[in-house]
Amino acid sequence: MEYESLLGKRGRRASDQVIWDLRISELLTDILGKEKDEYLGALYLEQLDEKDAAVFRLNVFQDMLRKEVYDEVVKFVEKIRECMRILELEKEAYEQHKPGLHLDAALEYIEALESFHEKLSSVKIGSEGLKHFLAYLNSIIESETFRSMKERAYEAKAAREKIKVRVKIIGDKIKVWSYDDGEDLASFIEALFARFKGSGQVEEVKYHRTAGEMSHIHAAILEGAFGFFKEEYNILRKFSEDFPSIIDEGVRNFSKEAEFYISYVKFMRRIEEKGYPFVIPRFTTDGSIKVKGFYSPLLAKIGKAIPNDIETDGEKRIFTITGMNGGGKTTFSISFGQLSYLSKLGVPVPASEAMLPFFSSIMTAFPIEEDKGEELSRLEHDVVRAWNILKSANDSSLVITNELFSTTTSEEGFQLAELFLGELNKKRAYCLYVTFIPKVASLSYVISLVAMPSREEPLRPSYKILPGSPPAEYMAIRIAAKYQLVYEKLKGMLG
Amino acid sequence: MIQFDLLRLGKATRISIADDVRTDLELDKIVAVASNGDKLIAETWMNVLLLGETSEEDVRYRQDAVKDALAHRETVLKMYSISGDVLDRLRREIFFFRTDDPAVVVHEASRGIEIFADALEELITLLRSTPRFSSKAFSDLMESLFANIDEKFISSAREVAKIFSFDQGIDFSVKLGKYNSLIDPILLMPKEKGSLLSKIFSVGKEYTYKLDPRDEAGAQILYDIERWVLSQVASTILKAYNHIKEFFEELRRQLSFYVGAMNLNDFFDKLGLPRTYAEFEQGRFSFENLYCLSLSISRSGKTVPYSLEIQKDGAFAVLISGANRGGKTTFIKAVGQALLLARSGLFVPAESFYIPNPGAVYTHFLREEERTLSYGKFEEEVKRFRGFVGSLKKGDFVIMDESFSTTNQLEASVVAENVVSALIDSGISVFYVTFLQDFIYKFVTHYGDKIVLLVPERLEDGTRTYRLMRGSLQPGYAMDLWKKLHNSG
Repeated sequence: MEYESLLGKRGRRASDQVIWDLRISELLTDILGKEKDEYLGALYLEQLDEKDAAVFRLNVFQDMLRKEVYDEVVKFVEKIRECMRILELEKEAYEQHKPGLHLDAALEYIEALESFHEKLSSVKIGSEGLKHFLAYLNSIIESETFRSMKERAYEAKAAREKIKVRVKIIGDKIKVWSYDDGEDLASFIEALFARFKGSGQVEEVKYHRTAGEMSHIHAAILEGAFGFFKEEYNILRKFSEDFPSIIDEGVRNFSKEAEFYISYVKFMRRIEEKGYPFVIPRFTTDGSIKVKGFYSPLLAKIGKAIPNDIETDGEKRIFTITGMNGGGKTTFSISFGQLSYLSKLGVPVPASEAMLPFFSSIMTAFPIEEDKGEELSRLEHDVVRAWNILKSANDSSLVITNELFSTTTSEEGFQLAELFLGELNKKRAYCLYVTFIPKVASLSYVISLVAMPSREEPLRPSYKILPGSPPAEYMAIRIAAKYQLVYEKLKGMLG
Repeated sequence: MIQFDLLRLGKATRISIADDVRTDLELDKIVAVASNGDKLIAETWMNVLLLGETSEEDVRYRQDAVKDALAHRETVLKMYSISGDVLDRLRREIFFFRTDDPAVVVHEASRGIEIFADALEELITLLRSTPRFSSKAFSDLMESLFANIDEKFISSAREVAKIFSFDQGIDFSVKLGKYNSLIDPILLMPKEKGSLLSKIFSVGKEYTYKLDPRDEAGAQILYDIERWVLSQVASTILKAYNHIKEFFEELRRQLSFYVGAMNLNDFFDKLGLPRTYAEFEQGRFSFENLYCLSLSISRSGKTVPYSLEIQKDGAFAVLISGANRGGKTTFIKAVGQALLLARSGLFVPAESFYIPNPGAVYTHFLREEERTLSYGKFEEEVKRFRGFVGSLKKGDFVIMDESFSTTNQLEASVVAENVVSALIDSGISVFYVTFLQDFIYKFVTHYGDKIVLLVPERLEDGTRTYRLMRGSLQPGYAMDLWKKLHNSG
């Protein structure tokens, strides 16, 4: 039976621009840790082209999100990795250690396959990915080679357990005898001083070994021991000779690919611990978006994310986000961008409910630092980027821009926006347009979202982005607040 | 197993507001006399004096032991010094300079065990020549020591110490585990040299490996294996060492209470203070010629004694009011200190001392300075009171000095009435120095004979005696005076 990848189809690498603007690298650091595994790192940068490929992975996640499945997959992968590590060790080890290492790698492997197969067979698996692997495992376990390897491994293990010797170390000499009898000194001391009760506080002497457990000295002691246990040694040695290779190639691949799912579930759990949910996205075909309670995982990990909603029936597809400074506009658009990015990886997304199209592409235009040496000024840069976006945008593209055309007069900025958004609208593309120019929000084909101030303290943001018209003036509220003529303070004074 | 309990403190800890009680009742002065500069005595005394919970039975147990210790003064002092000397020797001679090196631990611990063997021998010899104790506390200690420590034990302990003190190499058994590594090392009793068994061994099959003198790495590994094997026994021998050390520490700690009692006894003798042990009697709170011990210590002499007789079932309140500098605070301190000494099982500076039960003592004294400026003084006071309300139990005593006087009399009286009524109705007795007239009037009227009102005595000619006498309410006195003046006008 052939092994089939747990990842399903592969995708294409996302553009550097998108990776940068949506802070995908930061997200990856959170998911994979600072020392990113190269293989997994590359996987997370691949965007899937087909909805079915994403659904294939999401189905695997559907299984993996069940604790009984997840725990078993994690255990299995850890065991296979341990097995690989032992086999690496064997290559460099002393002759007396080699048969031992080989035996333990085999024991680990046998146990891993059998227990994983047994546990997974007893729970209901829904995904093609895992179902296939289970069938594949079954074919290995049923094979004659595996059965005989198992039998011989247990025999070798029993032989090894019989070996027990008495050793004396004195000066630079080691003496080894077959063990006969002897009084345990620790038990003697324990019994002698038991008459002193003590407080029950135990101070353990923790010795950190300064040398490894495999060396020529250990080998010498083993050599002595094998001299007294010749038959047992032969059983051990023969096992290695008869079963030189242990791990199946498909199993090896699976344990590597499963890491993709494991790393992501671990990441989700960390965020969920802070009280933020993840959900498996559903892809709409009518152009609608309904995403509830989505948030920035980067802020959620420090418990500071404020969830928001975004919704359209598909008729209007351009969102403008205006409102107070520092009100969470950029976080809102990046978070939605990340969510869309993750949905194109085929992984659960940070939201409480997520229905959205399978975007064919995600494009971004965020402000760049102005480089005086560059030929193009920032404004020109913006225009060029806008045109590049328009060139490739279609009715399932997602475009996210942040303060595009902001380095000119607001009137000109509005005119440029009108042109850009008008074109996008014609192409029926989706767009989140963050701007400080309120007038943009009045375009007939846009949905206007506004970053709202805190109700209690109007000088502070609430980080809630809600549908509505951009406010005409913030200043009046500020002046009122300065004289404490605001709801909460007034109430306190009067109360 | 060696078991003894000279103090019967159980699991009780210091009361929640130990620091306040310590300051308010000037316990440092008393403890300084008892400890005579010995830190351990001071610590033990503070723990016992500020004990949160105790029973009549435990108090009697300690009273007997105190009497016994005073009678066996020399033996108790000698036991105290033997345990002190052995701990001193350990401090000077035993160094666990690396607790992660089993060889160091095993070596030092076994030397320590040698020192313990000497001290235990001395202790047993001393007790064998001592006349019998009469208290349960000391008899039990002696009995337990005799049952557990004998010549055989002492020689076995010395034997163990010897095994580890010379470089005889180590013997151990070992098995093969994962990766063919060595596992389950068990340190074995060395086979005696020249014995029949060891000869059979050397004749029989034996595998020998000798380290190449230039093999430094090999020497390091051998060093590691030795420590690894010793680590299996190191915790055990360290535990043995620690347990014996704890035995001496515990013995010394418990004895320190009684050594302190001897010191205080000497001080009473010097000043000629009376000495009595508390007696328990339901419905009776009374004492005769009770001295304020801290004031006697400060003055190095006897001060004005107090007497009081209350015969009343359940909780009561003693309100002390009247002119300043009349000895009111000294009175409540004397009562508080006596209660603490009594429940510790110690003698009290009085001719007689009867209490219904050994309840805990809580204090709430007006502070000259408030600790923070961010809260009003009154709030601070209320907060402080609230702090111990949760720990109060029926039968406890609350001693208050001008509580709630950081706000006006009218308000404070209402608070005081609320608080003190609640305490009494919950079975907690109160001693309260207060000037809150509204409170006193209403309270005495309402509670009647559950209340004792004390005022400073003044002789006809106006001189102060610093004694307190029972006072009574004089309702309408001011009105009468007003009318009188009005009429006279």
